[in-house]
Amino acid sequence: MAEGPLSGVWTHRGLFAGLVSFWLFLRILPLSTLPAGWPGPDLLVCLTFAWVLRRPDYVPALLIFAVFLLEDMLTMRPPGLWTLIVLLGSEFLRNRELLTRQLPFALEWVMVAAVILLMLLAQRLVMSIVMAEQTSFGFAFVQIVLTILCYPLVVAVSRLAFGIRKAATGEMDARGRRL
Amino acid sequence: MAKDRYGQEDYSRPIRRVLIGTLVVILLALFGLWRIDSPRVERFRAALVDTVVPSFDWALVPVTKAAEMIESFHSYTRIYEQNQELRRELQQMKAWKEAALQLEQKNAKLLDLNKVRLDPQLTHITGVVLADSGSPFRQSVLLNVGARDGIRDGWATMDGLGLVGRISGVGQTTSRVILLTDANSRIPVTIQPSGQKALLAGDNSILPPLDFLENPGLVRPGDSVITSGDGGVFPAGLLVGQVAQGSDRRLRVRLAADYERLDFLRVLRSRPTEIITDPGSLIEPFRPPQPYGPPPPPAAEAAPVAGGGNG
Repeated sequence: MAEGPLSGVWTHRGLFAGLVSFWLFLRILPLSTLPAGWPGPDLLVCLTFAWVLRRPDYVPALLIFAVFLLEDMLTMRPPGLWTLIVLLGSEFLRNRELLTRQLPFALEWVMVAAVILLMLLAQRLVMSIVMAEQTSFGFAFVQIVLTILCYPLVVAVSRLAFGIRKAATGEMDARGRRL
Repeated sequence: MAKDRYGQEDYSRPIRRVLIGTLVVILLALFGLWRIDSPRVERFRAALVDTVVPSFDWALVPVTKAAEMIESFHSYTRIYEQNQELRRELQQMKAWKEAALQLEQKNAKLLDLNKVRLDPQLTHITGVVLADSGSPFRQSVLLNVGARDGIRDGWATMDGLGLVGRISGVGQTTSRVILLTDANSRIPVTIQPSGQKALLAGDNSILPPLDFLENPGLVRPGDSVITSGDGGVFPAGLLVGQVAQGSDRRLRVRLAADYERLDFLRVLRSRPTEIITDPGSLIEPFRPPQPYGPPPPPAAEAAPVAGGGNG
């Protein structure tokens, strides 16, 4: 990776937090208070998973914890549950980061799609076990499908705009450790 | 963090496991706490939103205004037709205004003649919409007035014309308004000409349906819907909207408030209605102290009359 102001791990962690804050800020803008006909994709999950599968050190578990807990709180979701599910999903993917380096992108996409679907099912299951109110399944499913469709887009933008790509074999980080 | 793939820093793996385990336990505990003691967590949430969102305030308002300007710029293309249309409407409105003024005067005179006492305590605070819920599954907005301004949970919120929602969650400087379209919103309403009571239940659509309608045959599309004040949470008689029939043949309500543009909202200060617990005591006639002799006959006659009036 090129040596420069953006090459540091902490810079990228800051960039991730900045992107997330910007997206949250856009979402809470009171532009239209009409109920949406279509739920938008959950870009935060896309971004997190795309970065976890490319540079896991840029999105440590504590950052994921903080970001999603804040999102839970701001968007009136049951606090903690979605954060927990995203944390577990990202840990699952993080442990397979080495494996996906050799996979073609289509297979990676399928794997991410499966994880996101399982996450939705887990959330619905827990919510029905504790008998909390939930939104209609169709609406949530449409959102998940849109999220999955947006994944390649987020990957492309991360790569082109922020240079987030998979580490090549034998690539070293700034301190000379293998990635 | 974990550089343990090629045998480097093997010791970090157990530490990582402990970290993840701790986070999982914290999150589970938080979710459990929310499920068991929701009001406490929701108060914490209100406090958190109260600190986070106003720090965006400097950016939220200009960006929203700019977006609205761009949106209204599209309508400049047909400004001439719009102008003509507005003039026509204004002409009609003038006639209506005249009629309304006359009716208002007449109404005031009649009320005065009948000595009707109106509720004098219905005052309001106006707040600006800071942010919306940010989630497609929740319909709520955040106002810039809070506990500092005396806002309480449950108060009704209106725009200029109709009911918008109720306050749910108050921070120090912000408060959240659950809109009538939210899936958690339930408001007791009366449908006007027939006087039927129903429950307006939000379902994440623009036209919330009417539930628990006793006799749907008496309700027609176009009837006006006002709050009934049942349950003592809302003041009675606030305009909600008009009955409309949805594509699924259900009776729904077209809301009177302009949900496309919620800028300024009015929070009605409602005092809890006084509850009459005293069943009423026996009313006795006033007897002047008469130490001697039997009571005079007129007082003895008045006693049964007063007792009958009480019963």
